[in-house]
Amino acid sequence: MQQFSVHKIGPEIKIAGIDLSFTNASLFMVISMASILLFLFLGTKEKKLIPDKIQLIAEMLYNFVAKMISDTAGSKAKPYFPFIFSLFMFVLLCNMVGMLPYAFTVTSHIIVTLIMALFIFIAVTIIGFLKHGFKYLSIFVPSGVPAILLPLITIIEIISYLSRPVSLSVRLFANMMAGHTMLKVFGGFVISLGILGGWLPLSFSVALTGLEILVAFLQAYVFAILTCIYLNDALNLHH
Amino acid sequence: MKRYLALILVLSTICTNLFAAEAGMPQLDPKYWASQAFWLVLVFSILYVSIAKFYLPKIKKNLDDRESKIKEDLDEANKLKNLSEKKIKEYEIILENSKKEATKILFESKNALHKNIQNKKDSMEKEIENEISKAQKEILEMKKNSISSINSISQEIASDIIEKISGDKLNESSTRAVIEDTSKKNIGKYL
Repeated sequence: MQQFSVHKIGPEIKIAGIDLSFTNASLFMVISMASILLFLFLGTKEKKLIPDKIQLIAEMLYNFVAKMISDTAGSKAKPYFPFIFSLFMFVLLCNMVGMLPYAFTVTSHIIVTLIMALFIFIAVTIIGFLKHGFKYLSIFVPSGVPAILLPLITIIEIISYLSRPVSLSVRLFANMMAGHTMLKVFGGFVISLGILGGWLPLSFSVALTGLEILVAFLQAYVFAILTCIYLNDALNLHH
Repeated sequence: MKRYLALILVLSTICTNLFAAEAGMPQLDPKYWASQAFWLVLVFSILYVSIAKFYLPKIKKNLDDRESKIKEDLDEANKLKNLSEKKIKEYEIILENSKKEATKILFESKNALHKNIQNKKDSMEKEIENEISKAQKEILEMKKNSISSINSISQEIASDIIEKISGDKLNESSTRAVIEDTSKKNIGKYL
């Protein structure tokens, strides 16, 4: 579990008695951010009519996220496109950078994912109340439910709504942590079984690395699309 | 076999000890939670602002530019296509008209030529007929003339022959009467 441990880099920064030191987690956040910005810089450096490779990737990502938002949350979600795009890119890059050997996976920490999920949850709730006022509470009362079941369903709806940040954050955190732990376990087997028996866990490790890259992308996608769905609930009240 | 088993056992014990040394999840240690939260908010804010204010509008503008350029080009192509179709139609109309004119001219000149030929033919035929009738008349006249000259010649010959044979000179009027009578009888064969 050493790969998940956070340690301080550089001097200790304390503001109002709270330790805000620059850590390896902060370093990899900065690395992810810098990679995204560098990639976007290269992707938008030249405005070609026929895009080159990096410009094409940037435009494909743009269209990918734009389509994701318009498919799940409709045209009303257009103002939130930059946020979803940043979120998707940040989670994707944090996951992907974490796949490099010796790298620290920012998203494998519950506090990071929880803060993102809580921010989304609070923001979506505020947007919902701003758009619909107290009518937004009708999200807890689905239509077409028998009167006798309504209290139960309402309670379930409230619980499910409140557990959104938990499920959103734990999904990402658990996926990233489990994947990396599994890779570590198989890597440990390679060492312990030596040159004779180590080939089997090594091949597993290789396969798992591929799987983990898929999971890294998939979890970023899931995180972004769930944000879109929550946003859709807040923007388009269906009940 | 036993040796391998022992090796695996020893190694796995070492491994277990290694894992045990790192046991516990660093994620649940609250020591750096505040730091992580702070840096996450800071980094993500910078990322969001630069993406929202700078990069996305750039990408969007480029995509829009491309789309409008493609649309313009397509419109231009359509316009040119319509123009060329119009031109082709005009050309076809001109072609059609000139074809009609050509056939008309051909027809007219054919008719004129035909008439001309007919006229010339008619006048020619008339002329030929006149010539023929004239010639016939001439021939007839010549024949008639030749009859009288034949009569006089034959009268001379006859009177000469008679004179030679009989030594007598016949009355000119009686010979002429006989000759004329004979020629009148036989002239129908030659006229």
